[in-house]
Amino acid sequence: MTFDFVEPVVFAVLSIGVIGAGAAVVLINRITAAALLMALTFLCMAGMFVLLGAETIAAFQVLIYVGAITVLILYGVMFTKYGDRPYGLFFQRQTPLAAVFVFALAVPVAYWAFFFTSPPPRPGGGDLPALATSVFTDYAFPFEVASVLLLAAMVGAIVLTKRDETHEFDERRRR
Amino acid sequence: MVPLGAYIAVSAFLFFIGCAGVLVRRNAVVILMCVELMLNAANLALVAFSRRYGAIDERGSVFVVFVFVIAAAEVAVGLAIVLSAYRNRPVVDVDEIHQMRG
Repeated sequence: MTFDFVEPVVFAVLSIGVIGAGAAVVLINRITAAALLMALTFLCMAGMFVLLGAETIAAFQVLIYVGAITVLILYGVMFTKYGDRPYGLFFQRQTPLAAVFVFALAVPVAYWAFFFTSPPPRPGGGDLPALATSVFTDYAFPFEVASVLLLAAMVGAIVLTKRDETHEFDERRRR
Repeated sequence: MVPLGAYIAVSAFLFFIGCAGVLVRRNAVVILMCVELMLNAANLALVAFSRRYGAIDERGSVFVVFVFVIAAAEVAVGLAIVLSAYRNRPVVDVDEIHQMRG
């Protein structure tokens, strides 16, 4: 008995998770549920990375997307009040045009992607040594630039959300 | 073994789901979520090509690491902009946010 059927089954479950949860993010009206479904999409995507043999990327995916980015988005949800609105109001006005545009692009691309053929792959081991070698030799400069970018983003986020303390104090005293 | 085309198809589906979400939804936070979905779909395509297209080549995975960095920076700055616009006037509806000037 062989276990060749396991991988397609796991792939099918993960792809249903990715596409179903992704579609629910767009379609669902409750924003907290949308944020958590986005986390489910990212988690299923991490499973796909494992299936592809990229375990390190899967670990990064869980750490950065399922951990950090989901928490950030949930903070955004928490700080912005979005009351109950009628269903018709939560889509933009250009919905029909946007739907036609997306379908016109999506159908040929999905068709092409599904019938894509590739040369047979070679078996390989874990991906961490090759990844680390690549990052710290060929891509050492982009790596450093990325750290500067993260620093700039951090400072920018702090500056953008910082309250104007002196101004607020004056306003409070005037009342 | 699952063929490369299946991974690319899932990636394309997720990308266009995110694309539709960005074009169709009005809530700025949901739009940021959909952008993240699109970035993740691109990541899946990069990893699938680096693992399954010909010889195994880690350069795709390296680009995925950089996409992670960009995504984290993007969501941090994006949320900061949304929150400061929200503090200016308490709406997160992109139809209602007309001006960004503080």
